[in-house]
Amino acid sequence: MAVDPVYLVQLTLNGITLGLLYALIAVGLALIFGVMQIINFAHGELLMVGAFAMSFALPAMGSLYWPAMAAAVVATMICGLVIYETLLVRLRPDEFERSILITLGLSIIVLHVVQYLFTANPRMVDTQYGFDGVLIGTIRITWTRIIGAAVAIGAFALLFVLLKHTQFGRAMRAIAQNREAALMVGIRPRVVARNAVVLATGLCGLAGAALAPIQLVTPGMGQFLIFKAFALVIIGGLGNIPGAIVSAIGLGLIESWIGGFFEIVWQEAAVFILMVVVMFLKPDGLFTRGGMRVG
Amino acid sequence: MTALLEVRELRKSFAGVHAVDGVSFTVEQGSITGLIGPNGSGKSTTIDCIAGFQKADGGRVILAGTDIAGRSAHQIARAGLMRTFQTVRVYENLPLRDNLTIAAQQFDDASWSDELFRTRRYRRAAAAAEARARELIELVGLARYYDAEAGILSYGQKKLLALAAALMPRPRIVVLDEPVAGVNPTRIRDVEDVLRKLNASGETFLIVEHNVEFITNLCHHVIVLDQGRKLAEGTAAAIHTDPRVLEAYLGMTPEMAEAEMRGAA
Amino acid sequence: MKAVAIVIAALAFGVLPYLTSSNYILGVAVSAAIYTVAAAALNLIYGYTGLLSFAQLGFWGIGGYATALTVVTFGGTFWLGLLWAGLLNAALALVVGYPTLRVGRHAFVIVTLTFALLVTLVARDWVDLTRGPLGIPGLPAPSLFGVEFKTTTHFYWIAWAYALLALGFLYALGTSRIGRTLVAIKQNEPLVRAQGIAPMPYKLAAFAISAAITGIAGGIFAFHLKVIDPLFLDFYYMQTFLIMVIIGGAGSFWGVVVAGIALSALPEVLRFSSDFRMIIYGVVLLVIMLVMPGGLAGWIHQRRVARMRAALR
Repeated sequence: MAVDPVYLVQLTLNGITLGLLYALIAVGLALIFGVMQIINFAHGELLMVGAFAMSFALPAMGSLYWPAMAAAVVATMICGLVIYETLLVRLRPDEFERSILITLGLSIIVLHVVQYLFTANPRMVDTQYGFDGVLIGTIRITWTRIIGAAVAIGAFALLFVLLKHTQFGRAMRAIAQNREAALMVGIRPRVVARNAVVLATGLCGLAGAALAPIQLVTPGMGQFLIFKAFALVIIGGLGNIPGAIVSAIGLGLIESWIGGFFEIVWQEAAVFILMVVVMFLKPDGLFTRGGMRVG
Repeated sequence: MTALLEVRELRKSFAGVHAVDGVSFTVEQGSITGLIGPNGSGKSTTIDCIAGFQKADGGRVILAGTDIAGRSAHQIARAGLMRTFQTVRVYENLPLRDNLTIAAQQFDDASWSDELFRTRRYRRAAAAAEARARELIELVGLARYYDAEAGILSYGQKKLLALAAALMPRPRIVVLDEPVAGVNPTRIRDVEDVLRKLNASGETFLIVEHNVEFITNLCHHVIVLDQGRKLAEGTAAAIHTDPRVLEAYLGMTPEMAEAEMRGAA
Repeated sequence: MKAVAIVIAALAFGVLPYLTSSNYILGVAVSAAIYTVAAAALNLIYGYTGLLSFAQLGFWGIGGYATALTVVTFGGTFWLGLLWAGLLNAALALVVGYPTLRVGRHAFVIVTLTFALLVTLVARDWVDLTRGPLGIPGLPAPSLFGVEFKTTTHFYWIAWAYALLALGFLYALGTSRIGRTLVAIKQNEPLVRAQGIAPMPYKLAAFAISAAITGIAGGIFAFHLKVIDPLFLDFYYMQTFLIMVIIGGAGSFWGVVVAGIALSALPEVLRFSSDFRMIIYGVVLLVIMLVMPGGLAGWIHQRRVARMRAALR
């Protein structure tokens, strides 16, 4: 079967963009897990909130991309802060099942409240860039996709700097790697956890805001994505940030290639099959586990 | 005196640090042997390796003639080595009665079908376990809490419960990991009495402890670890005056220690 | 005596069709019986053993489809279908359970969730096997010795009989040494190992048993609905079972049974828009986990322990 190289490149670029967005979600999850030892079931809904916020902010700001995105991210981070202070702060590190059920309850509430208020009708979101794009040969990429990818890369770069070179970030890594030792040197778990949650929701909101112009916005858009993100976090190794990023981009590529040549069902099942395979071969994840490694 | 437990050249490293670096010692049948050492000397790791909670990198652990090194924790327990934990472990939401009978469960010959049909074998085993549980609970002085949940006990009482549970299956040897750490000083006397009583009826103990007085009062033989290696061993009295031990433990010379003792007298 | 009262109550439930001829009420009663069994099975793996398994939804769906396919595609009887539902799920649980139980508590939850999702994907997309989104409508009434179980009343008796069997089994298991060992594993696994017990066989057994019981329940329910389609695997069912376990009290047999029966009427009562119903579910889940994580039975138990503590000090 002759494969059109242009088609392949198109798929690859799409895959990378998709993967970068997956990565934003997965990294947020890995961050929260690393610091708090909990898995945030409401993460997908936070993405959805970011997307919805973007869909409201854009018309309000004259379809200007960047201000709207900033507003959406801030809105999501505020949500994250509220969620932390009202719910998550009550959780102790060994209450894993309780954390899942609490965030599950939250996810149900958020999703259905949004659906109740705004209906399940998909929304189209228009930005200043419209459908304009860049033409490379015969390959067409919309600006919104390019910017989405660039924003994700920028966010990761910022995260890297934050985690490696600031007190803010070092405290997070310390708690993730050895909670007791971190407590002993005076790091306050409540503050660090709050920061981690706000940061993670910021990343998630960013992903949602970037996704809004690229695909339709619905209340349920976070649901399926989040299950993939969970699988990615397992594949990359719980709490492992670079692992999550690499796995996510890898998945984006694999899904894009599979989707381009095979039926949709395989594309959707891909991540889960991958997770099962990884589990059999390396139960702790593809990358060395433990703490949050940065590079 | 026969050697019940023999540890030969035990080795365990964590990320390049030699937590246990070629430790060898024996525990004689019917003795109370102490294992002491400053923090970080490798005592807990040694115990974990012996009991199967960590996999040693090298060396042999011989229990009553069989090499148990490398076996999993539950297999080692079944082979006759029971242990307690430094941070006490009991079943918090189960009554003391269950805490004890669960410990004996694996060691009787009743299967699930025996239980289902309430065969004679099951009833015999259950009765025996019940009798032993009552005997031990009396011994550790917790009889009034027999039907209460373990969670209501104080820390020291839980340690006594854990000790009783470890003795349920009549093990060959009981390894106690800091049995009196965090325990009320008055209660420590109780623990000493219990252990002496049990030892008199033939039970062998290997005790890891920080409390030197406790060890001195109880142990026939003491092994001292420092930085993963055996520093000294001998009777408690000998250890007390061994200059190497004094230096490692207390940072003192024999003269300083003597002055301390005289000052305390 | 308590045992006598329970037996009488159990039998009393069987009399229900003589007290009412309303198909609606009997339909709710069928749901109550089946949901309670599924919740009790979830209680075995989550309440007793401490493993939060979302795989129950997958086993529920596989049970429904296995039974339906046995009858419709392979020409077997309903009862054979139920047998297959049980065996297939048990086998699957062992195969899936072995690696999953080794990966640790955190990954376990996600992997079981993924399993449920995979089953949903198969139900929806493997059209050759499951007829895809259209599902398999027109499931025939079961028959036994020539008697056809056509009406809702008949189905109620099937569900009631199964509930008695399954709950009786789970009660016996829960009060046996095996049940006690599961509870011990949940409370302090290292101690269990130090006492000579290998936890893995027990966890696998609990996983397989709850899978089989849930699968058979799913099979009965599918034939009660007379149709099976991918909606059978809607997360709504998982949430229902979960809420029953949590409100009743994870680890409490009677708590979950009472909650199961009581809450089965709830979806009927809360017939607002489905969004509103889900919001209420979410709020209930949240509030209970914040305020009373041990459920009603847990709260009662805590008070009893506090009294005992006061009495013994």
